Amino acid sequence: MFFHKNGKNGTGQTEEGEGLYPVLFVMNSLKDYHTALVNKEVDSLKELGMISSSFDSVLSEAGSFQDKLQEFGQNFSSIEQVSSEFGTVRDEISQSVKQAQEGVSELRDDSLQVQEYFQEMETTFQNLLAAIKRIQQYMSKIVSIADQTNILAINASIEAARAGAEGRGFAVVASEVKKLAMEIKDLAGEVDAGILDVEKGTDELNSRINVSHQALGESIQKVGETSDMFEHITSASDGATQVQTEISGVIGESQQALQTLCGYFDKIREQYQDVVKHIQAASYLGTTKSAMFEDIDNLMSQIPPILRENGLDK
Amino acid sequence: MRQYFGMSRNGDLREAARGLSNPQLILLMSNSRQFEAHVQELEKLYPHVPSIGCIGMSYDTNVVENGVGITAFLDGVDTTANVLEQVSTIPVKYIKRLEQDLTQVNASQKDTVCIDFCAGNDACVLTTVYSALRNRRIPLVGGTGDGGKVSANGKIYEDAVAYALVKNRSGRVKVYKENIYHPMGNYRFIASNTDKAKYMIGSLNGQPAKQVYQNILKVTEQEILTQTFKNPFGKLNGNETCIISIKEVNGNSLACFRQVNDSDVLLLLELGNYQETVKETIQKIQRDFPQRSAIFSVNCLFRYKLFSKDGYMQKYLQEMSALGSHSGLVGYGEHYNNQFINQSMSCVVFE
Repeated sequence: MFFHKNGKNGTGQTEEGEGLYPVLFVMNSLKDYHTALVNKEVDSLKELGMISSSFDSVLSEAGSFQDKLQEFGQNFSSIEQVSSEFGTVRDEISQSVKQAQEGVSELRDDSLQVQEYFQEMETTFQNLLAAIKRIQQYMSKIVSIADQTNILAINASIEAARAGAEGRGFAVVASEVKKLAMEIKDLAGEVDAGILDVEKGTDELNSRINVSHQALGESIQKVGETSDMFEHITSASDGATQVQTEISGVIGESQQALQTLCGYFDKIREQYQDVVKHIQAASYLGTTKSAMFEDIDNLMSQIPPILRENGLDK
Repeated sequence: MRQYFGMSRNGDLREAARGLSNPQLILLMSNSRQFEAHVQELEKLYPHVPSIGCIGMSYDTNVVENGVGITAFLDGVDTTANVLEQVSTIPVKYIKRLEQDLTQVNASQKDTVCIDFCAGNDACVLTTVYSALRNRRIPLVGGTGDGGKVSANGKIYEDAVAYALVKNRSGRVKVYKENIYHPMGNYRFIASNTDKAKYMIGSLNGQPAKQVYQNILKVTEQEILTQTFKNPFGKLNGNETCIISIKEVNGNSLACFRQVNDSDVLLLLELGNYQETVKETIQKIQRDFPQRSAIFSVNCLFRYKLFSKDGYMQKYLQEMSALGSHSGLVGYGEHYNNQFINQSMSCVVFE
């Protein structure tokens, strides 16, 4: 027996004839409150579920955004990598330009040396021409001597003829001298003709050497221009290095800014997760409350029948 | 302590009790046709021995479907058996019996267990019983029998819960629960419009419960009752999940094998790798109890059907017997402390 009829000790705490009806009344009221409380709990859990769902979305969005940022960071890394590769290519170009410059420089030195040889050759030609002139002059003198010898031979023949028989031998000598003089003259003519050929060939060679010299001069000019162009390339390459350094600097700053942003998101996420943790804790408590509501209901629901069974509900 | 299990497939109680002498507690698991006779005969064979009984299949390494099975504890235990009546309305009226029995066996958390066979209104019964056990933190294992009848100390009771308190004088006791299901997706529902008397769920997150279940699992109304083998509900209670089977469809509501209340948070569950789960349970018990003298378990009828259909039941019993002396009841609902659960296994292990 759990309950006694009213006024067990004669204290008169309940009205005459009411039995334990007030207890039943309270139980019914508690039951109503319990029902209302459970309904409120249903609403609370729904709200909690919606909050949880919203935070899940927020976390998911934040996660996606952070992924995008990280992709963005990845792009920066890719740009930096490309920039670095560009630097490698630039270095290779610089190296090639340097090698080409050295080649051009050697070519120019060689050309200048050839030009010096040409100048020496020109001097040699001038000397050769002068020597030819002198030979020609000598040959003229030889011809002149041959002519005088011939005249002398003729005079000697005339004198030999005047001498008669005694001069006959002299006439033969004079004739031989005349003949020799003529041969000398003929030979001198042939030498002259040879010298003219040499002079002509020398002029042609000189002309061709001049053309080559001129071409060499133009070539040296081109080599100079090429060298200048390489200088420009080297200078431009140095400029590219500066641009690359600036790009790297900007990328570095951007990455740092991105990292700060990601760090900010990490903090936000930590805070979100903290909130989610609390929501989960609240949800956990909600589920234990639900079991307690069941226990309360299971126990409370036994009181009215007990009162009724004992006739204490009136 | 020692555990005895005897059976008779043709319902011969004497055959089931052959060789049983000086038992300290008897758990009778009979069939609906012979239950009363078995209770009386058992009382004649073992007068004054505490006993509880119910209608249901039993097992050790084999299942007794329509006969009779007897589990008895011998030596090294202090026991008492009793009953709470009028469980459909006022089981608390008899709570003093339990309180006195707890005092009588000097029950303590580490070495005492309450084993119960219930005839109905399980959630209310467990609330009531556990309100007395809670003070001493006594664990509970039990189940629901068939036919709305139980027995205690040679008497048949309807609308009652029979319980036995077992104090292990030679070591610890501990109860376990095995759940072979896990949450499916992120489905989470708040139950409302429930009818706790009819175990009915009206709405889940404000939507008709039947449609919610059908829409998620793409099953017809007729398929719902078989689908519950694969996809029961799970009621959250803190870190615990109590499985709830669907019994029938009622309009847009789902009637279950367990009371569901407004504001209960439910999950949709799906069947996992149960053979792996069983192995994990066995390993856990082996870790907790290197020396085991007995295990008594209650397996849900759903699990029995599922395991049998998959040809696993016999293997399951063999695997459990590796723990030592193991016997149990195929129940219509399982009890684990203050939780009334479905499609589960609960057991008590004696050191």
